[in-house]
Amino acid sequence: MKILRLATLAALAGTCGVAAQEQVTLRYMQLSVPALEAERPVIAAFEAANPGVRIEAQAMPSSEYWRSLSARAAAGDLPDVMAMSSAFVQQWARAGNLSALDEYLAEVDTGAFYESALGFGQVDGSTFAFPQNWVAPVLYFNKDAFDAAGVEYPTTAWSWEDFRAAAKALTIDENGDGRPEQWGFWFDGRYTNVEPWIFRNAGLLLTEDRAAIDPTPEAIKAMEFLVSLVMEEKSAPMPKDLEGIRPQDVFGLGMAAMWVDGSWQIDNNRQVIADQFEWGMSEVPLGPDATEETARVYAWADMLSVTKDSAHQDLAWQFVLHMSGPGRQASDFPGGKVPAYIPVAQDRAWLEEGMLPAEKSLLLEMGGKAAYSGFSDDWSAWRGYGASGSGGMNGELDEVLNGRKALDDALAAAVAYGNDILSR
Amino acid sequence: MVSARDLRRYAPAMLFLLPAVAGLLLFRIIPIIWAFALSFAEWRIFDQVKWVGLSNYAHILSSPVSLQVLGNTAYYTAIYVPGVIALSLALAVLLNNGLRSSAFFRGAFFLPYITSTVAITLTWRWIFSTRFGLLNHLLETIGWTDPPAWLADPAWALPAVAIVAIWKDAGFFMLLLLAGLQTIDPTVYEAARIDGARPWRRFHTITLPLLSRSLFFVLILALVRSTQTFEITYALTNGGPNRASTTLSFYIYQNAFVQFDMGYASALAYLLCFVTGLVTLINFYFRRRWVYE
Repeated sequence: MKILRLATLAALAGTCGVAAQEQVTLRYMQLSVPALEAERPVIAAFEAANPGVRIEAQAMPSSEYWRSLSARAAAGDLPDVMAMSSAFVQQWARAGNLSALDEYLAEVDTGAFYESALGFGQVDGSTFAFPQNWVAPVLYFNKDAFDAAGVEYPTTAWSWEDFRAAAKALTIDENGDGRPEQWGFWFDGRYTNVEPWIFRNAGLLLTEDRAAIDPTPEAIKAMEFLVSLVMEEKSAPMPKDLEGIRPQDVFGLGMAAMWVDGSWQIDNNRQVIADQFEWGMSEVPLGPDATEETARVYAWADMLSVTKDSAHQDLAWQFVLHMSGPGRQASDFPGGKVPAYIPVAQDRAWLEEGMLPAEKSLLLEMGGKAAYSGFSDDWSAWRGYGASGSGGMNGELDEVLNGRKALDDALAAAVAYGNDILSR
Repeated sequence: MVSARDLRRYAPAMLFLLPAVAGLLLFRIIPIIWAFALSFAEWRIFDQVKWVGLSNYAHILSSPVSLQVLGNTAYYTAIYVPGVIALSLALAVLLNNGLRSSAFFRGAFFLPYITSTVAITLTWRWIFSTRFGLLNHLLETIGWTDPPAWLADPAWALPAVAIVAIWKDAGFFMLLLLAGLQTIDPTVYEAARIDGARPWRRFHTITLPLLSRSLFFVLILALVRSTQTFEITYALTNGGPNRASTTLSFYIYQNAFVQFDMGYASALAYLLCFVTGLVTLINFYFRRRWVYE
């Protein structure tokens, strides 16, 4: 079976039309060890289709990846091809470490790739990274909890008021001690929890040029809505009450009936929930200030870039294309990672029928809408990761959700902090 | 002038010293000088070096975040230093006064110091957990109905880090103080006892003065350690919530190796060096007032 698969992949790789070259070694760096292991057969197919080409592939945990790559950039020792994230492509491109791929793209049928995913690799009008797959936050819901409470499952027609009412109905405090055994919803100040609501209300945190933080009224309204679920409705817990529990496990442990997070959490949900309860997913409800035309789908991509100093630019690009498009198959993207190459995404096998959630096709529908990644230079610092010491917008929003700060004050502090970073 | 004979004479010694000197130069001296130069530059590690004069230092002094971090460092020092000295002194005195099975307890108290910090800290994370933690369970049992969210409350996060650090380091300082206690001549205590001195009087008129040199050494070490705290913060709170437990050394790490802002991180490192040096000098200045020479 494995031989058959390799042969198929080799045949697919041949469609890239890569000319045979003499004893060339391409160095490839992937930011996830499991991802690289899954890619091994695809890499082997590329090598088989290109005699004389050897791929020296390496991967490291994502926590170490950027640190290591930065040190290698400083030493002038970057690999030919490297995994790139939507959050870092701007900085790396502007620092002159990545090759522009525009000339190559002119020869590719870009219509076979999700347009929004292609857009994530663009910086200042040029493309510096090519997408392998993309992900987007969705609304996960516990079907058993909905059935028990007699609440209809979420649909794309849900308004925020529908959501509010459902969260209230799903909050169950059996012994009346003020500590519900099941919350209707849960979230904290992290980007995957908050930004989906902002963008689904047609709001923005950044200015159009992404050079400064300036939350729009629609963004503020989204945050006010979320805060009200904790502080007024009491249908979502304060983050401090869940301290000590892995955030990605709260929904799976049945502590909250609804949760908005990235589609990559499908894998984690499958592991944590197993067959404890039925669950599904829906799109984040549309905000009161948005229409389907003005709302944005929050999404971002895992991409590959060719580094500027690579001595094998053409070959590196062929490798990138092979790893992103025709060289892949649906089973390479289990769970919530949607292949950027549409023929692979639309392969029925990608839907993983018979496994939860049953609504994976929702992601394909979302892929057809306007997407927005929400990243900027130094995003991780101002948003509350990186050098922020859990501060930044994460920390300020958690202060609000823990009842220690007013939203206005927290936003003012987060904006001042973030703009100080962006102005440097 | 070095003669050929001298060269021949010292050549073997120099040859033996060469690896150590080369290592010192490559991995200590040159990085220290380079970091000083970088503190006047803006350098994202994957980008070009750009000289910016005193801009990094000016930003440290004007940035609310840096000032918060400096305040956190001072607050942490104020908890850690007295806490670790008091606990290690108490343990040392206890062991020195003939506690049963003292060899076992000496090992038991020292054990946290040589145990993996990450392993210890992960255990403490569970102990401090708001709803499922051992500590809050105990506090609720004794009647505290709404115990703190230790790691999620800005008021408690830094004390929580300090508690773990004190618990971990006390065994090491205990050994230093125990060594000091064992140099005190027992006949001095005997004479005091014959004169009718009670335990507390013997402690503050004999033990403390005669232990003051060891205490001074421990004080300097504890001060330096308090400004260098990193692993526990990293594993317990990651500097949060909302930077409440971010101290200077952790902030340096975050800037240098997460944000890759090497210039700013270098300026912060030199600030840390300056502050530590200054506090140490002040302590040396006041030493004569309380250290029994």
